[in-house]
Amino acid sequence: MRAAVWNRLDHLQPLLAGMLVALGLMTVYSARADWMRQLVWVILGAAAYAAATAFDYRRLRALAPWLYLAMLAMLISVRLLGRTTLGAQRWLSVGGFPLQPSELSKLMLVLVLAAYLSRLDRISWRAFIAAIGLVAPVAALILLQPDLGTTIVVVAVAMGMLFLGGARVVQLGSVAACAVVVIPLLPHLLHGYQRRRLEIFLNPNSDPLGAGYNLLQARIAVGAGGLFGQGWLHGLQGALGFVPERATDFVFAVFAEQFGLLGSLLLLAIFGTLLIRLLRSAAAAPDRFGALVAAGVFVMIFAQVVENVGMNIGLLPIAGIPLPLISYGGSATVTTLAALGLVQSVTLRRPLLLRPQAGWSGNITVRAQA
Amino acid sequence: MVAAAVLVVLLVGVLSLKLAQLQVYDSATLAGLARANTVHRVVLEADRGIIYDRHAVPLVQNTPVWNLEIVPADLPADARGRAAELAAIAALTGQPEDGLHAVLGVADPFTPARVGPDLTDAQVLAFNERLPALAGVSLAHHAVRTYADPMTFGHVVGYVGPLDDEDLKRLRPRGYQPDEVVGKVGVEAGLESILRGTNGWADVEVDARGQIVKTIAMQPPVAGHAVYLTIDASLQSATAQALAAGLQRDHKTAGASVVIDPQSGEVLSLVSLPGYDTNLFTHGISHAAYNRLVTDPDRPLLNRAIAGQYAPGSTFKMVTATAGLQEGKITAQTLLGCPSYLSYGGWVYHNWASYNLGYMNVAKALAVSCDTFFYQVAAMVGDVTLARYARAFGFGQAKAIEMPGVQPGLVPDRIWKQLQCDAPDLNSDSCRWTLGDTITFGIGQSALLTTPLNQAVYAAALANGGQVLQPTLVYQVRDAGGEVISTHQRQVVDSVPASPANLEAVREGMRQEINRPYNMNYWFRSAGVPADGGGKTGTAQWGGSGLDLPTHAWFVFFAPYSQPDVALSVFVERGELSEVEAAPIGVQIMKFFNGSRAAIHTATPKALA
Repeated sequence: MRAAVWNRLDHLQPLLAGMLVALGLMTVYSARADWMRQLVWVILGAAAYAAATAFDYRRLRALAPWLYLAMLAMLISVRLLGRTTLGAQRWLSVGGFPLQPSELSKLMLVLVLAAYLSRLDRISWRAFIAAIGLVAPVAALILLQPDLGTTIVVVAVAMGMLFLGGARVVQLGSVAACAVVVIPLLPHLLHGYQRRRLEIFLNPNSDPLGAGYNLLQARIAVGAGGLFGQGWLHGLQGALGFVPERATDFVFAVFAEQFGLLGSLLLLAIFGTLLIRLLRSAAAAPDRFGALVAAGVFVMIFAQVVENVGMNIGLLPIAGIPLPLISYGGSATVTTLAALGLVQSVTLRRPLLLRPQAGWSGNITVRAQA
Repeated sequence: MVAAAVLVVLLVGVLSLKLAQLQVYDSATLAGLARANTVHRVVLEADRGIIYDRHAVPLVQNTPVWNLEIVPADLPADARGRAAELAAIAALTGQPEDGLHAVLGVADPFTPARVGPDLTDAQVLAFNERLPALAGVSLAHHAVRTYADPMTFGHVVGYVGPLDDEDLKRLRPRGYQPDEVVGKVGVEAGLESILRGTNGWADVEVDARGQIVKTIAMQPPVAGHAVYLTIDASLQSATAQALAAGLQRDHKTAGASVVIDPQSGEVLSLVSLPGYDTNLFTHGISHAAYNRLVTDPDRPLLNRAIAGQYAPGSTFKMVTATAGLQEGKITAQTLLGCPSYLSYGGWVYHNWASYNLGYMNVAKALAVSCDTFFYQVAAMVGDVTLARYARAFGFGQAKAIEMPGVQPGLVPDRIWKQLQCDAPDLNSDSCRWTLGDTITFGIGQSALLTTPLNQAVYAAALANGGQVLQPTLVYQVRDAGGEVISTHQRQVVDSVPASPANLEAVREGMRQEINRPYNMNYWFRSAGVPADGGGKTGTAQWGGSGLDLPTHAWFVFFAPYSQPDVALSVFVERGELSEVEAAPIGVQIMKFFNGSRAAIHTATPKALA
């Protein structure tokens, strides 16, 4: 039985996660951040991973409404009680530990949406709008912190899960169309200072010495890495503080300066393999809920990697998003590892007859499994 | 599911391509920007050479002072943070914020700009505490010249000051930076190229806050050479004291004195009064203090010893005597009358005495300073010849001593008179040299001008047998390691074309003047100074009209008579009676000199030998 459990596990996924965590600790150390503290978070995250793997994910489905209410309560309490740093209210002190509810809410939203969508065979317009209705208050609360980066991730998770859950392109397209109409109006619906922050977020050029400077410095660090990098602990731009938020939002620039193009491509390859691995888990899931959980975790990590790396190299506008498992930060690290543990839990409980390869044998939509 | 996998591959591919562009294609450009971020070149200031007296007594020190430097580009980028930081700086330095804005407004954004005055120790401590919170601000220390006893040595040593626009244009090609200092007057200016070292540089790694993390490469600065002056510090002080006391006793405010070694040309002391505090200039002079110095009627900024040009009066009579003897117009035994006046061409020229002093030879004529005797000699010699002798003694020649601003004085002749005449017809009577010009020339008047330095060189030539020496202020130059770079070599500029016997006859007159039965001997006796030497006083008229006929008082002297080792000149501006006002000052200087003769002549700085 023990051997059976071992053989059922996805061995590559934790290995990839471990490599990312190791590279993350090295980079956090080189960025002169508190790496010991990050190590503690990683150990806690590993425990969360193990616990999530052992936990039967199916029991979460019944808890989904409560999770949803808890998530809203948490986000509202951060509005009321939260600590303000760098002009945004994102932190909640829980037993002396700073907790970032918006990080936690990414995973909670994945579970809530998975539970809701798993009840449906096909996604009608009515169900689609109901799903949007579930997500909207969460996104709004996070946007008002303001935390545009996490909002983007939350919206991406919702859209991605709806797509993988079988929503039609027309439905997703209509959301995009609505966004095009609403976003220009959004500034007028917000208070003055919120609008100002949003403007800076949406248009970094409105503050060239602030955000524009950050973007330039990040690009300089990446470029200074060259093909082979400056070597670990030899990246001057990061170490000397020219790269802003060097352990969190711009940790990738610090990494790229030290490890060069080869290191950066290796990092992207690890992320890519991990993401494909998550898709496989989704495809091989024993039920629609499990498949949707795995798909949601996939979208969550995918969106963050693309946005974080994209903004570090100047492809995407700057938004405060950590690079999963690399950036310094407790809430994000523990949440991500717990999420990966849940996917492992799904993989562990797949039907024995279904070989992993079978997941790739056709157009397996999650719906077909239900 | 497959679509998602394809999307992963696609987006990772896009990110990879952009990464390849940044890290390969743009890498050189971005690495250059990275280097500009982290590597700054700083100038390492070379220590300026120290100026010592002839016994290695330092006359200036390089004292460290702290200044605040701001790199404008490194100030907080947001307007509010910037304003808060400037307000904090203003509060800590006690400087108005407007001043900061003014400095930063014109400063180059990437080089450190010095703001505010020198910081006090308390301010340095306060800033050290606050520095981590002040982006773009650093403390820099500079060496500032601090002069020892500037009121006494100021006119010799001079001072340094910041480069003005003209200096900068001139000195930029020689590697001067805009924030450097340059010698402005005195030896500091005259020996600028020797005293100034060679600045070094360092490439330092700085962090985003502008703090230096480590040094990557450096070229150490080379300190400037040390200069050992010929000045004897204690003699300089004694000279200044004697001069100041003499001026005060006779209610005079300005004067000068130069003491020189008649065998080597080394200037042993050079004093011009009033002096001024040169330290004011290096430590930041206030506008009011500067205005006071410039508008002071006693003109303390004028170094009278080298730049004050005055008629020599009777001290010139040795030239007239030498010319008369050497040209065969008179002999040492020739007796000429000394009436109370002589008339030439309808003009009456008086002696200083209103009674006839009788017939006398040239030595006695010098001793009693008979004007009418020398009118006759000058008339016999003629202005052209007299001018030639005057030039041979060094009159009208700029002495290229090691400081700027030396004035040559003036030896007039008939061509000069025509050239400077402002009448429309240069051949008119007012432009023509007259016999009257010649005879007043003979007693050191006419348009004749000299300086106290010239007078000392002149006295030295009379002392040493007619050799006009190149005066010098520099005994030795050594590099920072103590290696001797150069030592002063005696240099003869000109020789007086006179036989030893004729010169001896002139010297005899100078010997008699300071001995009994003449009045001047009183000063030597009362001071206990042996009257073994030769001296000559002079009370020179200058300008004025009607009843106001202002005079300057002179005294030139050498000693001992047979083998002179000291010559000096004393000048009292607006001095009325040279025997009473100028000569006693010279005697007081000699009193000190006789007491430390051996020590003064020990030229090699013992401290470094």
